[in-house]
Order: sequence, then structure tokens, then C-alpha cells
Amino acid sequence: MAQVLVVTSGKGGVGKTTSTAALGAALARGGDKVVVVDFDVGLRNLDLVLGAERRVVFDLINVIHGVAKLPQALIRDKRLENLFLLPASQTRDKDALTDDGVANVIAELRRKFDWIICDSPAGIERGATLAMRHADAAIIVTNPEVSSVRDSDRIIGLLDSKTAKAERGERVEKHLLITRYHPGRAARGEMLSIDDVLEILSTPLLGIIPESEEVLRASNVGTPVTLNNALSAPARAYFDAARRLKGEEIPMLVPSESRGIFNKLFGRKAA
Amino acid sequence: MNLFKLLRRGSAPVARERLQILLAHERNARGQPDLLGILREEILAVISRHVPFEPEKVQIKLDRGKSVSTLEVDIEIPNGLGTALAG
Amino acid sequence: MSSVVCQRQSLMFRARSYMAFAFTPQPPIVDWLKDLDAALERSKGFFADRPVALDLSAVQLSPSAITHLIANLEERNIRVLGIEGSAGIEGQARLPPLLRNGRGTQSFELPKPSSAAAAPAVVNPPPPPKPQPTSLLIEEPVRSGQSVVFIEGDITVLGSVGSGAEIVAGGSIHVYGALRGRAIAGAAGNPRARIFCHRVEAELLAIDCYYKTVDDIDDSLRRRPAQIWLEGGTVKISAMN
Repeated sequence: MAQVLVVTSGKGGVGKTTSTAALGAALARGGDKVVVVDFDVGLRNLDLVLGAERRVVFDLINVIHGVAKLPQALIRDKRLENLFLLPASQTRDKDALTDDGVANVIAELRRKFDWIICDSPAGIERGATLAMRHADAAIIVTNPEVSSVRDSDRIIGLLDSKTAKAERGERVEKHLLITRYHPGRAARGEMLSIDDVLEILSTPLLGIIPESEEVLRASNVGTPVTLNNALSAPARAYFDAARRLKGEEIPMLVPSESRGIFNKLFGRKAA
Repeated sequence: MNLFKLLRRGSAPVARERLQILLAHERNARGQPDLLGILREEILAVISRHVPFEPEKVQIKLDRGKSVSTLEVDIEIPNGLGTALAG
Repeated sequence: MSSVVCQRQSLMFRARSYMAFAFTPQPPIVDWLKDLDAALERSKGFFADRPVALDLSAVQLSPSAITHLIANLEERNIRVLGIEGSAGIEGQARLPPLLRNGRGTQSFELPKPSSAAAAPAVVNPPPPPKPQPTSLLIEEPVRSGQSVVFIEGDITVLGSVGSGAEIVAGGSIHVYGALRGRAIAGAAGNPRARIFCHRVEAELLAIDCYYKTVDDIDDSLRRRPAQIWLEGGTVKISAMN
């Protein structure tokens, strides 16, 4: 049964696109057929993070308006044959998205893929509400920081009112993904703790992704962080989160200040 | 010297190059009609005058490079037209 | 220290609830108007002085189509006091105000004329509504941006009230969690209403028309179970431990 996920947050810049790419790649690595869909019409980013920016021919808007068929718009990842991208338009804006158009595209994607991950734009307007409209489950990306937490709370409220599932009286499954967690700052009380965030948002935790230079490096080279450096701390956290999405119960690791395996080894050799 | 770190230092230049290529194309596209799009339409129009095919059977791949861009057009043409083409 | 919003009589802002008849047009509108005319034939002028709310949730109408529909209703002597169920009309100055949180009573039929001739109908007043519940229970956290309004009585929330959310009750408010948003109790003019919460981190607390904002809440009371009540024109808070 295909699962439609929306990766949303309300606040911008918290890690939605990075997480969409990382989780999509992790699930595809595990053998599932995955498509990631960019809903940020006019400011597309998912293609860039996946390194497919030079290969975009047709986009979601083209498919909605009948200019192209869905298979013509899908871009297959060069590294993972199970991972596809449906890019957003760079020249149109969110008003080009239509309710029926999106519904039809999602319905067609459900027939071809195991996972359809919708990368939502920031905000609570058309792009964001359409990205969540057909979701079976939502991943709410939150930084341990006050405005991100409040925006996430707002988005959780919208998930319970603006989605097709909510209108049918069913619940959209919600998962909290805490990103850019900095263990040092949390320990010094300079950053909201995991418990603070969980208490305020009352939503089950999917994973904790530590702040890391790996994320920037991966985006620089155009590879999801889970493929670029699978053993890095953020990548391992994303892989765990992907397994939890599939129903596995894995103990939650709170990132600590100690350095990762690779860094430890090389640290000693250099000295 | 940490060899690993040396190899990894290269990510910012990679990003710079990707952006230069991409933004050159995007700025170009903003000013003028999409050359590759026009080429695609005209190629398909020419072929359709000689050989019938379904629009869904057309796969277009694009790779925008720094100095050279590649446009790849794959069309499934139904068999039985070999004689028509050879003639 | 509390601020008194309404010293002079003329500045009294209170909430009040009224009963209105709700019309729910179904598409196509033209046919619905025909059905309405048929019903009105049997009871002429019934709605002439009665408040009517227009529920547009079953149709998709642009602001100009809504204006047109309202004009059609006015031709039939029906005056629309408010509109519900239509997302796009906020901010449109020429349309009646947007109504929220309408709660239904039972439907009823227009009275039929007592004789076959077109004699003036004997109009019966609508039957009295069944007794309404006097308390509202919310079993989940109230999220930022959500607004819960229940003028008829108390509101109880099993969970927290998020920053940027608002609870407005005619009676008292009970929050079994942290109260981070705005809470307005006794909103219909009940100074004896109270607010109770497990943790007070509120942005605004109000009882009747007196309020206290986050700046006026003593730090020592924050994050503790608290009760809020009105005494002599001052909003008071005390810890409950």
C-alpha cells in the first residue's frame, strides 16, 4: 500500500528539503520505490539538494496543466534506481497549483510508488496546504528554537483541519523530527531541550538529527546526506528515522558531544 | 595531515561550480524563450510529419553543462514502418 | 495590576449569542432558489424580520456571486446577517460578516397555510431549542492559531493551549496542561468565572472585560498551577499547590 508523507514545518530553513532527500534516499536504499515531490513552486530546492538541477525538463505544474505526462517529468536518481524526483516549477508560482491537479498527480503516483514524500514549502498558504492535503502521515520538522516550535504547533493544528483525512474524520499520523540539535547548547541551557519541545508539541518523536557540517557538505555536492556520508551522525539518525517510519522500534539516541567514529580515529592519527 | 579532511575540503568549490552553471542557465531562461524547449517542440513536429507516434512515448532527457548541454530525445516508433523509412 | 477595558458604559464589549435561521444553498443555486420560492409561497413573508445566516459550505461562490445571491434573497425579503462556511470572503467590506462556530439546533419546516386559499399563514414560532450542554470538553491540545469559543458555559481542555491559540468561554476555563495562549472567561458578562490551569505561561488572561497580559503576570507565578479570578475590578492570580 502506498504511503503519502508530507514533510512540513511552518517555519522556513529548518531542514524540510534536507530531510525529504535524506529520508527518501534512506527508504530507497532499503529497497522501496520512492518519489520525492517538490511543492515549493517558484523556489524549487529539492532538485538542487539531490544534484538533479541540470536535468529538469518538466515539472509538477507541467503535469497538472497537461503539458507533459507524469513519466516524462519524473527524474530518476543516478545513484539509486528506486529514487525519483518530481520537481517544482521555477517560473510559475503557487497559484498555478490546482486542487484537482494535485489530487490526480498524487493518485497516479500512488499506483507506481511505495512512498510519496511531499516536500512542503514554508508558510501556511496554498503550497503548504496542498502539500499536506493528501497525506497519510506527516513529518513535522522542528528546530529546538521558540519560533520553530510555535510554527510547528500551528502546522499540527492545520494537519487536523486542512487535510482530506481530517475532513473524513480520520487522523493524519504525526511524527516529530527534531533537526539542528546541538548537544552542547542544550546542555548549557542555551537551547530548548528535547523534553521541552516534546512537552510543548505533544507529538511522537521520529528522530533527532544533530547539527552537523555534513549536511552542508552534502548539499554542496548535491547528494542526500544519507548517501554522501552514510556513517556520519546525521545520516545514521536519518536511517534510524526511516526505519521507524517503516514501523521498526529503535531506541532513540540523543546526540551527545562526543565525536563520531570517523572523527575519533582520524583525530588520534593526526596527533 | 589528515588526508580525509583534504579530500573533503573540496565541497565548496563543487557547490560554486554547480551554481555557476545552473544560474547561468536560469538567468538566460528568464530573458529569452526556452531554446531547448523550442528545439524539442520543433524536433517532435518534424518527426511527427513523417512517422506517427504517441506523445506519451516520448522521453526527453536534458543535461545542462558549463559549455555544452545535451538534449536527448527518445521516441518509441511503432514497427512496420521500416519500409516507409527505407524508401 | 490589571487594565480595565471598560470604564464607561459606552465601551462595554460583551459577547452575546443569538439564534438565527441558517440557509444552506445547494448547487445548482438556480434550482435551490426555485425550491426556496416554493417554500415561501406557502408561508409568505415568514423571514421578513428574522435573522438569517447563510451557510455556503456546500457551494463554491466567488465574492461577486455571493453578493448576487444576497441580492436575490433581499428581493425575497430575506436579510442575511452573516455568512459561514466560505473561506474566501474575509476582508470583503461589502459582504455581511463571517460567522464562526455556529452550532445547530434541530431543523424545522416552514408552517403551511391553514387553508388552501392564499390567506395569511398562521405563523408558529420555532419550537424552543433543546437544552444545550453547558460545558465543552476538548480532549487534545489546542494548537497555535486555533480558536475555541463556547459562550454557553465552561471549557475544559485535556492538554495544553499553545502560544497563539485562544479560548473564549462564557463560563470558566479549565486547562489540564500549560496555558500558553489567550484565555477569556466569563466572556458574556460573568465576573464570577474563573480560569484554572496546570501551568500559567499565558499571553493574555481575561475575565468578563478585565484583562492581564503576560507583562503583568508575576514571574514567581509562572509555570505553576494557578487559578485566576476577578476581585473588585482586578484580575488576580494565585498559585495552587
